[in-house]
Amino acid sequence: MSQPQVKATKNYAPEPTEEGGVREFLAFVVASETYALPLSCIREIMRVPSVTPVPRAQREVLGIISVRGQVTTLIDLRQRLRVPAGPTSSRTRVLLVDQGDEIMGLLCDRVQQVHRLSEKEVELASVLGADAASYVMGIGRPGQGERKAESTAEERADHDSEDEILILLDPIALLKRQVNHG
Amino acid sequence: MVSGKDGERAKEEFLAEAQELIEGLSRGLLELDTGIKQGQRSPDTVNDLFRGVHTLKGLSGMFGFERLGRMSHVLEDMLEDLRLGRVELTQQVLDVLFEGVDNFQRLLGDPAEQASVDVETFSGRVHGLARSKVKQHNILEEFELDASMLGVLTEYEEHRLRTNLEQGLTVYRLRVRLALDVIDTALDSLKERVKNLAEIITYLPSMDGGGGDEIEIEMLLASKKSEAEVRTALGRPDAKLSSVERRKTAAAPKPLTAATPAVTAAAAKESPAAAPAPAAAVVAVKVEAPSAPKKSAAEGGDVSLRSITSVVRVDIRKLDHLMNVVGELGTVRAAVARLVERLRAGAAPALSSEAHRIHRAFQRHLAEVQESVLDIRMVPLSQLFDKVAVVVRQVAREQSKEVKLAVVGAETEVDKLIAEELADPMMHIVRNAIDHGIESTEVRTKNGKPTTGTLTVVAHQKGNHVVIELSDDGRGIDSNVIREAAVRKGVLSEQAASDLTREELLNVIFMPGFSTAREVTDISGRGVGMDVVKTNITRLGGAVDIDSEKGGGTKVTITLPITLAIISALLFEVRGRLFAIPLAVVQEALRMPSQAVRTVDGREVITLRGTTLPLCRLAELFALGPIADDATEHYVIVVSVGNKRLGMCVERLSGQQDIVIKGLGRSLAGTPGISGATDLGDQHLVLVLDAASIIEEVLLPRAGVLAVGVAT
Repeated sequence: MSQPQVKATKNYAPEPTEEGGVREFLAFVVASETYALPLSCIREIMRVPSVTPVPRAQREVLGIISVRGQVTTLIDLRQRLRVPAGPTSSRTRVLLVDQGDEIMGLLCDRVQQVHRLSEKEVELASVLGADAASYVMGIGRPGQGERKAESTAEERADHDSEDEILILLDPIALLKRQVNHG
Repeated sequence: MVSGKDGERAKEEFLAEAQELIEGLSRGLLELDTGIKQGQRSPDTVNDLFRGVHTLKGLSGMFGFERLGRMSHVLEDMLEDLRLGRVELTQQVLDVLFEGVDNFQRLLGDPAEQASVDVETFSGRVHGLARSKVKQHNILEEFELDASMLGVLTEYEEHRLRTNLEQGLTVYRLRVRLALDVIDTALDSLKERVKNLAEIITYLPSMDGGGGDEIEIEMLLASKKSEAEVRTALGRPDAKLSSVERRKTAAAPKPLTAATPAVTAAAAKESPAAAPAPAAAVVAVKVEAPSAPKKSAAEGGDVSLRSITSVVRVDIRKLDHLMNVVGELGTVRAAVARLVERLRAGAAPALSSEAHRIHRAFQRHLAEVQESVLDIRMVPLSQLFDKVAVVVRQVAREQSKEVKLAVVGAETEVDKLIAEELADPMMHIVRNAIDHGIESTEVRTKNGKPTTGTLTVVAHQKGNHVVIELSDDGRGIDSNVIREAAVRKGVLSEQAASDLTREELLNVIFMPGFSTAREVTDISGRGVGMDVVKTNITRLGGAVDIDSEKGGGTKVTITLPITLAIISALLFEVRGRLFAIPLAVVQEALRMPSQAVRTVDGREVITLRGTTLPLCRLAELFALGPIADDATEHYVIVVSVGNKRLGMCVERLSGQQDIVIKGLGRSLAGTPGISGATDLGDQHLVLVLDAASIIEEVLLPRAGVLAVGVAT
């Protein structure tokens, strides 16, 4: 039985390398916001498998899943990003993110697309002030560049204005080891 | 890319080999240590060490481990000095050698450890030792050895000759004629015969007696045996054997420097004439030094060749992978079994019986594969105990205490992973036993104990577990002192402390709040960090217990599962969720005798065959749903770890199965009560419970909990 999963590097990355200050981000939606993680840290995108809850784990830990025999921790991004819980749908996906010492699953509402952002399309997190969450790396404004021709009408509908905003996340800070019983 | 990968693999190979060499070195040093204590010299061991370091040096150079290479060089020089007798083998020298091996170990470790090694300083110390070389009086001059003979000896041979004479062994001169065409085999068989009773210092062809197709060989042998015994062992009546006599007068000694250094074997030509060989009545030369048992001088080459026989070194991760695959195969087999069942129920009985037969065969072979893989992972505990011996020696020297280590059952096998994880806790316990347990020589004498303290390590297999007992004959622990200290520190309330039995009090040592308290450490005679020992052992699915008597020593007992990889587990349900628990800790499962549940001191218990069994409602412990009641929890699973028992209340038993335990990711590692998860074959993970930590949590009062309990 083959797993319903997509190799991120194959289908999403137009070019595997960063060049000339252009970085690739995978955009996805959690609740009403669009977030993005560096494409280089995404290992896989998969449908939601059977989840085993782990008693006494932190609230944001949904449980564990089996990814080809590897026990993998699944994090609920809604909890982690402190947005209200919501229902899962047929478009809910798990992002397998390499955080350095561990590959973890992140549950998001839907995967959008890959953005290639140049330096001038990225604002540093400092614009948000000192109390911005540590895992916010910056703000991406792909609107500053040319809009991707292939984005669908539906995707465009997610954004109220021409100025699309991506909240760029730092995978290390986002997934840094949490203390149990937190 | 490929070459990089190969390079990486070669480097891993190197690291594994270096590790092995270093372990060999540390074993060798321990042998030397034992030798010194028994007043014995072990030239073979020194040679082995020299070869080991030399190999390590070569390998380090080849793989670009520059610091390791320099370190090897320094040690090699030192061992060379030892080998040649330029430096006397003393405990101080041995200390430096041990330090060197420790440095090797650290140079293979993580960067921080590597940085902690100062090769230059170490090198300076070694040279300091070398400069304090012993001035030897030249014993060779006291014997009837002619300069031309001495002149052809290599420095090492000369050193061996000197040492043997100093140790009071008799040196014999053997001359024998061998046929040229079979010289190799004849010489080998001669060496073989001599090997068991004498050390061959050197052998040279002596042209003088050689005629045509024969050649005369002259050998210098050192032995404790009498001439007659040596002669018999040779089995060659034609051989001329004579012992080298002490000179009648010590006058007119031929100075060694007079002998031509580094002359070829041909120079021996003239020697026989000058050689006084009184072949008649032989009197063994006795020198004052006590004779010591000596191992035969084995040829170095043989030894190193033999060690590579049929052993393959395998990265443990490859075995882990294999183990995973075998585990998956097990789940495939279960699926096949279900299919066979359906066939049988269906319309193809003939087909089904054949399928059944094939499935049986599959099952049998799979079980064999499983067993073999498990077996491959097993290593003898001696690997670990050797390291313990090094620590014992080191700590004993640091503390200037005399400690003897007695090991029983080193051949007991455990999973490689367990052996490795066990190293730190063992070291800790041993260090504590010597630091705080075993008294100084003076105190021991005053108390009428033997001056040398004894540390005993006993390992044996007990069912699916390995039990390791570490006991010392030191001062022991006074449980009353623990009680007072625990109360004073606020770890236990006065009431709670007085309720605890002696054994329970001793186990307070493993409580985090207690053992890190410095003040208590000094009083209780036990070191910091016993809680870490407990945590590590518990993580392996094991248990640790302590028993001690004031003045009578302390015994720490570690119980561990033999393997972590594939285990039989009992599956059960709580609130509709499936869990697994290793069958090894399950004593029995019984129906809940709901009317017999009593509450004692706020804890539910039942009486099981006359003894009290505390209960734990897993649904509550894990907060899985509303408060449990007897209507839903129909079964009690009785688990025991060490000597503690607990009844876990569950809803349903779902049979037993062999499972492969997989660790949780780092983000979840250490979740209390859970040791891992297993995939039952349907891509759904089932949590595996850690009985030891649950028992711990439920039965042993945690510091905070108790204190709060008293306050209210």
